[in-house]
Amino acid sequence: MTIEEALAKLEDITQKLEADELGLEEAITLFDEGLTLAATVKEKLEASKLQVQQVLEKAKGAFTLDPLDLP
Amino acid sequence: MPEEHVYTVSELSGLARERLEAGFSQIWLRGEISEMTRAASGHLYFTLKDENSEIGAVRFRSRTSAFSPVEVEQGMTVLAFGKLTIYEPRGRYQFVAMLLQPIGAGALQAAIEKRKAKLQGEGLFAPEHKKQLPRFPRRIGVITSSSGAALRDIVSVLSRRWPIAEVYLFPSSVQGADAPAELVAALDAAVRFSESEVALDALIFGRGGGSAEDLAAFSEEPVVRSVYACPIPILSAVGHEIDFALTDFAADLRAPTPASAAELLTPDAGEWIEGLRARSERMARVLASKIGTRSDRLRACLRQSLFRVPVRRIETVEQRLDDLVDGFGRRLSEAFAARARRRARAEDVLRLSDPNLPLRRGYSLTFLKGSMRPLRSAESIERGAEIETRLGNGRLHSRVEEVIDE
Repeated sequence: MTIEEALAKLEDITQKLEADELGLEEAITLFDEGLTLAATVKEKLEASKLQVQQVLEKAKGAFTLDPLDLP
Repeated sequence: MPEEHVYTVSELSGLARERLEAGFSQIWLRGEISEMTRAASGHLYFTLKDENSEIGAVRFRSRTSAFSPVEVEQGMTVLAFGKLTIYEPRGRYQFVAMLLQPIGAGALQAAIEKRKAKLQGEGLFAPEHKKQLPRFPRRIGVITSSSGAALRDIVSVLSRRWPIAEVYLFPSSVQGADAPAELVAALDAAVRFSESEVALDALIFGRGGGSAEDLAAFSEEPVVRSVYACPIPILSAVGHEIDFALTDFAADLRAPTPASAAELLTPDAGEWIEGLRARSERMARVLASKIGTRSDRLRACLRQSLFRVPVRRIETVEQRLDDLVDGFGRRLSEAFAARARRRARAEDVLRLSDPNLPLRRGYSLTFLKGSMRPLRSAESIERGAEIETRLGNGRLHSRVEEVIDE
């Protein structure tokens, strides 16, 4: 699952829980799922470093990627 | 001894005027317009100046001809054609302009305004054409110079706010004669790259500050049209706050600077953490109240079924049931709390949520300048420290006057 998907899912879970229309079992399962998702996302965010690449087109449609190291 | 001629004031003024007019009857004068007033009569009074000198000038209504199609404005540098004369009632020498033509930045501005009107008429700036920006952009294309301040600013903001992003730079010169064609080519490359290689979520198109001439490439018609036609959500970020370029109007969003384009485009990971903390606490509360409701219902149910049992026994049983029900509820709550705490410690609680909810309710977040961690204590903050406060709408940048430790 990508971070974007995890974010959307998490938002969905929080909304459902806040709407208070779920059975207890279901709510507990969702809460658990939310915590797990959030943990995953946090890990990913913390482990990530911004990647910057320069895209050059040597010939039409032939792209090469060149990592840029900016201070 | 020959008798000295004594001039009257009018005589002298008249003579001086004649000589002045004879010597400067058809001249070109270049200067910047200041102190301009448009009289009810239609005459235009203004001062022309350069670094050291100024001269009063007037353009009479009768002289306002088709030769000056562009209206002049205060601050414009103009080329004026006319004669030098003396306004005799005041003894003031002045320039009478027959032709006024903006040059340099003024002329450029006028040309851009004209082009703006044309492209606007074609619908290039229509709000309904604007695309929605993605909520969580991952792959961001940047079209700017590889050596300019814009790229550095964008990278620095993204590293701080949204480090999961991937930046793809499509280098282009951003000023000079080649800039318009290069910008169009770079944008075209970005679109094709997005179609065939890596799908881009959004583009930032811009450059840092510069003179009006430096920024002019971003108002060139082919460049503006390319931005309009771009199928990927695109932000225009040209120069500083006060600068504008026509790409600003054709893009899906105008950012005042390249750095703010990066801010407008991405969520802030630090804010997410705070928002999520509030949100997960709310989730836990919802669950706790659910458990409470269940306990009450169970108790009511049992009481009904025990209706016919002798009172004393009921009391005993009820008490036991109370113990049981409470125990169940308590144990369940405790289990949740423990689980939540365990997660909280390990993971610093849920990372993502809408951070603006608490902010909109009037709470705010304060950060030491340059830090991503919200402040929780006044301790260790020094007088004079620079802080940034995020509100539901906007942010404040302040200096600490006093530190009160409680």
